[in-house]
Amino acid sequence: MRIVVESDSNQPSRHGIPLLQATALFLLCALVLRFWYLQVLRGEYYEKRAYANRWKSERIPANRGLISDVNGVILAENSPAYSVAVILEDCGDVPATLAQVSKWTDTSLSVIQSAYDQAKDKTKKFDPLILVPSIDFYQLALIESQKVNWPGVVVLSRQRRYYTHGSLFAHVLGYVSIASDDDHKKYAELSIGDTVGKQGLEVILEDRLRGRKGLSSAEVNVHGRQLLRNVQFNPGGGENIHLSLDLNLQAAAARALGDNAGCVIIMEPDTGKLRALVTAPSYDNNIFTSRLSGAEWSKLRDDLRHPLHNRVIQSVYPPGSTWKLVMAGLLLSMGVDPAESVVCTGEVKLGNQSFRCWKRGGHGKINMLGSIVESCDSYFYLMGDRAGIERITAAAYASGFGRLTGINLPYEKPGLVPGKEWKMANVASEPYWQRGETFNTSIGQGFTLVTPMQMAVYVGALLNGGKLMRPLLLDAAEPEVTGQLPLLEKHRNFIVEAMRQTVDSPRGTARRIRRSDAVIGGKTGTAQVIRLGEVRVRAGDMPYEYRDHAWMVSWGVKGGQKYVVAVMVEHGGGGSSTAGPITAEIYEYLFGGARIAPGRETEFPYAPVTERQGSAREEEILKAAAAWRKM
Amino acid sequence: MTQLTEKSRIWHANWGLIILTALLVIFGLVNLYSACATRGEYGVDIEYYYTRQLGFAGLGLLCMVFAMAFDYRRLERMAVPFFVCSIILLLLVPFFGREVKGAVRWIPLFGIRFQPSELAKISVMVLAAKLLSTGRGSLGWKDFIKVCAVGLLPCLIVFIQPDLGTAVIILAILGGMIIFRGLKSSIVKVVLCLLLLSPFFLWKAVYPNLKPYQQQRIVNFINPSAASQDAMYQRNQALIAIGSGQLWGKGWMEGPQNNLNYIPERHTDYAIAVLGEEHGFAGIVLLVGLFSLFLLSICATAANAKDRFGSYLCAGVFFSFFWQIFINIGMVAGMLPVVGVPLPFFSHGGTAMVVNFSLLGIVLSVSMRRFVFKAA
Repeated sequence: MRIVVESDSNQPSRHGIPLLQATALFLLCALVLRFWYLQVLRGEYYEKRAYANRWKSERIPANRGLISDVNGVILAENSPAYSVAVILEDCGDVPATLAQVSKWTDTSLSVIQSAYDQAKDKTKKFDPLILVPSIDFYQLALIESQKVNWPGVVVLSRQRRYYTHGSLFAHVLGYVSIASDDDHKKYAELSIGDTVGKQGLEVILEDRLRGRKGLSSAEVNVHGRQLLRNVQFNPGGGENIHLSLDLNLQAAAARALGDNAGCVIIMEPDTGKLRALVTAPSYDNNIFTSRLSGAEWSKLRDDLRHPLHNRVIQSVYPPGSTWKLVMAGLLLSMGVDPAESVVCTGEVKLGNQSFRCWKRGGHGKINMLGSIVESCDSYFYLMGDRAGIERITAAAYASGFGRLTGINLPYEKPGLVPGKEWKMANVASEPYWQRGETFNTSIGQGFTLVTPMQMAVYVGALLNGGKLMRPLLLDAAEPEVTGQLPLLEKHRNFIVEAMRQTVDSPRGTARRIRRSDAVIGGKTGTAQVIRLGEVRVRAGDMPYEYRDHAWMVSWGVKGGQKYVVAVMVEHGGGGSSTAGPITAEIYEYLFGGARIAPGRETEFPYAPVTERQGSAREEEILKAAAAWRKM
Repeated sequence: MTQLTEKSRIWHANWGLIILTALLVIFGLVNLYSACATRGEYGVDIEYYYTRQLGFAGLGLLCMVFAMAFDYRRLERMAVPFFVCSIILLLLVPFFGREVKGAVRWIPLFGIRFQPSELAKISVMVLAAKLLSTGRGSLGWKDFIKVCAVGLLPCLIVFIQPDLGTAVIILAILGGMIIFRGLKSSIVKVVLCLLLLSPFFLWKAVYPNLKPYQQQRIVNFINPSAASQDAMYQRNQALIAIGSGQLWGKGWMEGPQNNLNYIPERHTDYAIAVLGEEHGFAGIVLLVGLFSLFLLSICATAANAKDRFGSYLCAGVFFSFFWQIFINIGMVAGMLPVVGVPLPFFSHGGTAMVVNFSLLGIVLSVSMRRFVFKAA
């Protein structure tokens, strides 16, 4: 056998070998030098940094301030809540873990999956990612007993806001919810997953309620076990808030309102402090403190009765006949003699238009007092026409309409006070004011829109010396005057007396709320939602959304107690028939005892009094009234 | 005589290389155990990691033996079809691939996540070795362009996936092989000019096409002060871990940075940070020394290869390992931008283990057959 050496040309050339060797040695030298620098030359520096890492800083959550009613009954508190989270780097099989969590918590997998998808890029691999924000004790026990088999699953405990009376105060308290990206921009101190006020007082008083997080640092050994813990500073709990609202009164008012859509305001006229603020239908604000499902949210949002709406300040309505109080004030300050009468035939003609009084046969000869007590429309058509729209507009603004009352709740609406300029700017199809529109405006129909809160503040001003008070929700808040009615005391007293007679007089429209043991004054209102034809239709025969809104604004005085009670029932039909019984029930709760019995025990402080001269404010009012006379 | 040589082949294999590899794998397993031990406290099965790693090492060993038994000279004939197949597989990735972190790189195959870009790397190496082994003297323009074209096609596809790390490594391996072959001075001049201009080209053409996370990594490297807190945090924690290991280290399983979860990706890309912390400069020198010996050992096989094709194959494998080692350790040590390249035989990871053992098998196949003579 012969051994053949392969051709020389096929032999590898070896001049590349030193290159490879040099490369390998370069690797050795470069890396050894680099690590010499890092570990030997800079070793002590990094050692210090590593030691600093053993101190773990932790934020200690602060308790959110409690909210209580005027008697100290807790309305919003913090309760422990447990949530299920997963630590991604420890979780071997994420889909299986999500499925297991879904099984444990009875939550649909898609909800958990979406929670996971939303947070997975924002959460560090070693931080817990919350999958289910709240679980009950049974689920807690179940998970704690089984989670050994599910690496990465952890149960976290945290404070959760709880509203003890849920829907009863939902619109006042609002709710807290997981902070959004915008919230994080606004408040640097929030961490991911923290809750923040989103609605109602929770958002308005966010800065006072939240408190300040504490900081602790813990030294851990190399295995992560905590060795010692220093509290750098303790968390400062949020401020506890005392409301002026009364839980029992609120509940009674809500009971009185029943299933109606509407609202009730009970206010102390002298201070503007609110004692009850009910709006219905309502919602349970506790559902917002944990993650709200899309279905629940759209159900609330799309509900035709708008449970999320705070009707007290966010809904605007035509004032209806309650507006006659404002008109009477204007007429008096214009110098119209209250004794002057008009003849009501049941309608007033203007050209070929006919403006009808609610009473078909008419009221006959009737003066200002009678027109308020019996709510005669004809009188106010004619007198409103005499005053003219400019004065009506000015009087409306001066009475607190068309602007915010300044209540400490978000999303208040100013309503609408119409006038010539307004119409020019806003009604493109007919940019001029028509005389007939003055007629409608005079009886609270037409374009005018008010919030129930504005109406209550106005009635309060009639009783407290003409001061438009800012409505207050906090017990400790200082009374704040936001405006002054341009009415003399005798004029105010005239209106107050007219309201009393509306309740007490046999022909008064508000007789339903009469009480023997207290002095009550009121004014009903039935605000048309749509213009009706010749024939009046009974409320019950109309579709719900076309029914009139029912108003009842009132005040009650008994002993030292003095309240303004405003009731508004959306599509309730007649003011007297619907809002009346609700108001009566509220006074029954407020004053108690027997109704409609002869003999008065309460002194009535608003009987017409002799004119007092001299005070600076009276001078001012006189000037304003004189200006109106000249208009 | 033929019989005799056949029998003695196995003893001609580069046993030093095998022993070095075994040491690296064992070193990696010991380190991996520590890197994952703390997870045990959270209910994570730590055996999962190292049994898996052992399993893959076993699978890799099988592949290595298979590659050894396979006469590397047959690869020369198969080079072109092999290359075409790998290109087709690469093109299939977007259709069958699974998306991981915004990049589609994997094809699920028999329950294993198969990565065609790794196959492409080997096929480029084989085809380049074939092309470079023809002709004599310095490489001319024609062959140079041919070899570059072979490398650039799969590079471009891999880059689009996007897998920047693998694309860069393919190019770097090819570059190393060409320099190993030696080329005409005119080519060297032109290529140097192009390299000088390349930053401009990279900035205008490549950088805008990178994924945001890749751009961020490059920006972080060039200008660390503009880097996002999170990215810099991870990088710094790795440096702190290494630096605090100082000369002798904190001891096995005693590294606080490791145990307190400060080191990112500590069982894969950042495995050497755990080593640096727990075994200090001494441990690093040992590991880097092992790697250097490992590379020199491949070098020896390249020098002793019977033919040019075998020699170039070894050079390709050499650069494949060199770049992986250099990029990984350079990244962890803060010398290079963050690119996801694991450390061969040391980091946890199945595909890499199998591929690296196969590459090793090719070198061993070359070393075994250095004395085979044609029987006439």
